[in-house]
Amino acid sequence: MSTAPVLKVEDLAVAYKTRGGDVPAIRDISFEIARGETFGLVGESGCGKSTTAWAILNFLGPNGAVQHGRIQFQGQDLLGRTADELRRLRGDQIAMVYQDPMQALNPSLRVGEQMKEVLTVHRGLSNAEATRRCIAMLERVYMPDPAGILRRYPHQLSGGQQQRVVIATALLNDPALLIMDEPTTALDVTVEAAVLDLIAELRRDLDTAILLITHNLGVIARTCDRVGVMYAGELVERAAVADLFADPQHPYTQGLLRALPRLGADKADSALYPIRGRVPPPGNRPPGCLFAPRCDYTQERCRVERPALRPLPNGTCARCHFAEQIDPAAWTPRADLAPPPSQTAADGGAPILAAAGLKKYYPLPGDSLRDVLGLGQKRFVHALEDATFAVGRGTTLGVVGESGSGKSTLVKTLIGLEASSGGEATFLGFDLTDDLAGRDAALIRELQMVFQNPDATMNPAYTVGYQLARPLRRLGVVPKSQVRAEVIRLLEAVRLGEGYLDRLPRQLSGGEKQRVGIARALASRPELVLCDEPVSALDVSVQAALLNLLLDVQREFGTTLVFIAHDLSVVRYISDQVAVMYLGEIVDIGPAEAIYAPPYHPYTEALLSAIPVPDPTAPPQRIRLAGPAPSAVDPPSGCRFHTRCPRRHLLPDGGRICEADAPPWRDAGDGHRILCHIPLATLRALPPPAH
Amino acid sequence: MLVRDCMTRHPIVAPPTMLAAEAQHLMHESDIRHLPVVGDGKRLLGLLDRLSFALDPGALPSLDMWEIARHLSRLSVIDVMTPAERVATISPDRSVERAARRMTEQKLSCLPVVEGGVVVGLLTKADLLNAFQVLMELPAEGVRVTMRMPDRPGEFAKLTAVLGRQAWSVMAIGAYPTPRREGFYDAVVKICGISMDEARAVLSQVQGQEVVDIRDAW
Repeated sequence: MSTAPVLKVEDLAVAYKTRGGDVPAIRDISFEIARGETFGLVGESGCGKSTTAWAILNFLGPNGAVQHGRIQFQGQDLLGRTADELRRLRGDQIAMVYQDPMQALNPSLRVGEQMKEVLTVHRGLSNAEATRRCIAMLERVYMPDPAGILRRYPHQLSGGQQQRVVIATALLNDPALLIMDEPTTALDVTVEAAVLDLIAELRRDLDTAILLITHNLGVIARTCDRVGVMYAGELVERAAVADLFADPQHPYTQGLLRALPRLGADKADSALYPIRGRVPPPGNRPPGCLFAPRCDYTQERCRVERPALRPLPNGTCARCHFAEQIDPAAWTPRADLAPPPSQTAADGGAPILAAAGLKKYYPLPGDSLRDVLGLGQKRFVHALEDATFAVGRGTTLGVVGESGSGKSTLVKTLIGLEASSGGEATFLGFDLTDDLAGRDAALIRELQMVFQNPDATMNPAYTVGYQLARPLRRLGVVPKSQVRAEVIRLLEAVRLGEGYLDRLPRQLSGGEKQRVGIARALASRPELVLCDEPVSALDVSVQAALLNLLLDVQREFGTTLVFIAHDLSVVRYISDQVAVMYLGEIVDIGPAEAIYAPPYHPYTEALLSAIPVPDPTAPPQRIRLAGPAPSAVDPPSGCRFHTRCPRRHLLPDGGRICEADAPPWRDAGDGHRILCHIPLATLRALPPPAH
Repeated sequence: MLVRDCMTRHPIVAPPTMLAAEAQHLMHESDIRHLPVVGDGKRLLGLLDRLSFALDPGALPSLDMWEIARHLSRLSVIDVMTPAERVATISPDRSVERAARRMTEQKLSCLPVVEGGVVVGLLTKADLLNAFQVLMELPAEGVRVTMRMPDRPGEFAKLTAVLGRQAWSVMAIGAYPTPRREGFYDAVVKICGISMDEARAVLSQVQGQEVVDIRDAW
């Protein structure tokens, strides 16, 4: 039995040719992956993680080239191979899974045809035999009804199912090396948990070496054996996963871990410390240590001499001159990084936003003749059902749930992008369910929104200053002569300076764009800002800075926030109140502390245990939700969650009551309400998910 | 234990276009003695071992050094490998002892594991020796006892009854006909979490059986 690594990368350097000369993307990357091992590459966006993977597959594109270094796969050099040899290797022995499963699948071909092609083309198997193997592999990745799946088109599958199909396809040829580039980033946390379990299991059974690329340290902790931390195109730390989390050596790794929101028991020990500054662009990297401009321990030597990746006494490797001297435990945040003191007004003043039985149904067009003639029964997507909540002035309501749970519909109904179908919603005495066209400017001024994707919400042709000035003029917030001063004040409020006035959106980083988005929402000095996943597109260090900014802004202006996120630890950090949504219904609502402590709604419990915890010693969680969420067109009878509820068996008769009757609201005290048939005493007795 | 449980998965393989010199280098660098040659879809085309590289002087026009170098530089793995039809293979679903038998009978040191013509693994002597250690759970610490019992039904049950009463956890069991003594079986049992004396005290009381060997094993 040979002990040679499956993949060995040595001193790899890749550059992209541009008109301005070669731009070095990565340099001095070295690592090895043994058979059956998972090696994680982690880092912020733009650090060269994907470039490394592409270099291995020689997918660098026409302007990318490996400058020097070696990539050995199974003892053979991959560089300098002919296209034909590489094609054979990629098909037979190396497989890749990308972030977005929909881009890996051809939308115009049935799943079966795409999967079978791997076997019929590469292996020359007969159609029947290929079908048999595809079904077996789909069963292997726990797809329900594999034969039926083969006949479907990709768009007829959910995101999690699509990713399973992609993984199954990648494994059909039993590859020796599997490269996964952010395989779970596009998935819901519950689906992500199931996919990560699957990856770990397949690796064990098939002995496949896996290179896993992710920005999520929790995913690394859950699946990897060893990990490399990348920063600005260099590997800055390489260690066993347990060592990395217990004793990070490089200041950047330490910073990343401090920027990570955790599900701490109280807000005080879940403080977030962003890393200041940003990753230097490839063309403009400092001469010494690349991390020096952002490091808290910089000395003269760091600015002039480039550190090497050197082995340390504890068996890890770090690229830092002073790794031995740095003690992360002695670290104290610089004054400008200190997180804002936690909110005191938990219940705030009087509620300024209140909803009672708010509903939103989308009519579903039928396609039969009866429907066209208007004779058929009207069907509706029950996107939002009986939402009842109140938000106090100056507080934050966090809304969490899987995709399709109605979070965005709730916000869109409140802001008026969608007309509600029933129920009441009042805000500062205004009725939000009124005709949208009739909303007056006063209401629009008080109610603003921050969107998920800052790229899509800014006009690329206008400068930041113009885009911020526009709402000021439209809504007449300040006299015309003071608009410019007000814009500068707004930019300063979001920690950007006057220098950003004339910049175009493309000259900003993702975090800066989102800051402008927040500034624009604040322009009219609104009472209420609705934030729809404002940080989910951002890196952890940037995310931490923005969350702190939002808390600052809230304290300064007394703004009330409704904050949507799918990340429960982020919501935990920012919210006073949390509402958990499932299939259009709020199933669990109450003060943040109460939501994250027993008794849990079974769905909240499942969400909490699905989060990949950035701690490799945490015991694995075994609560998993079965299958995808049911359709909101015909929501399940009784309790909507009964089809997937892992705790239903706690009720007598296997929980038949859950199918028959709508569950009652149970008051767990302190304003915490749970929509469930299971008595509170039983829920309280359940062991809490370990975090 | 089946072949699929103890074979080396994802073995290093060579494409048919590889030069013999390159293959020789690859085997040397990777410290392996067997290299399957596979075509598209990992179909087995042949097998290389160290003997494949023995040069047949008759194939050379002369023993001139330049002539040899020229010959070698044109030699591809196809020319030196044992072609697939002459390579003994095994299916991953066979038992490990069946594989061992095939290897001892045909004096093979390696069997490519093939499923539907496709190489899914490699079973070498080293893999079998590993499997043997795994069967007796070698690296783990425990007391290894050899019990000799008459070859008749119910004898083994007597032993397991005693083990069960003591609530000892058995890590490995192997049994074979006692060499040179007909009518007896030796059973090797490895037990963890007890001392040698405890094991001897209890197991020597088993009616009609004998403790022939007892030792700490790790």
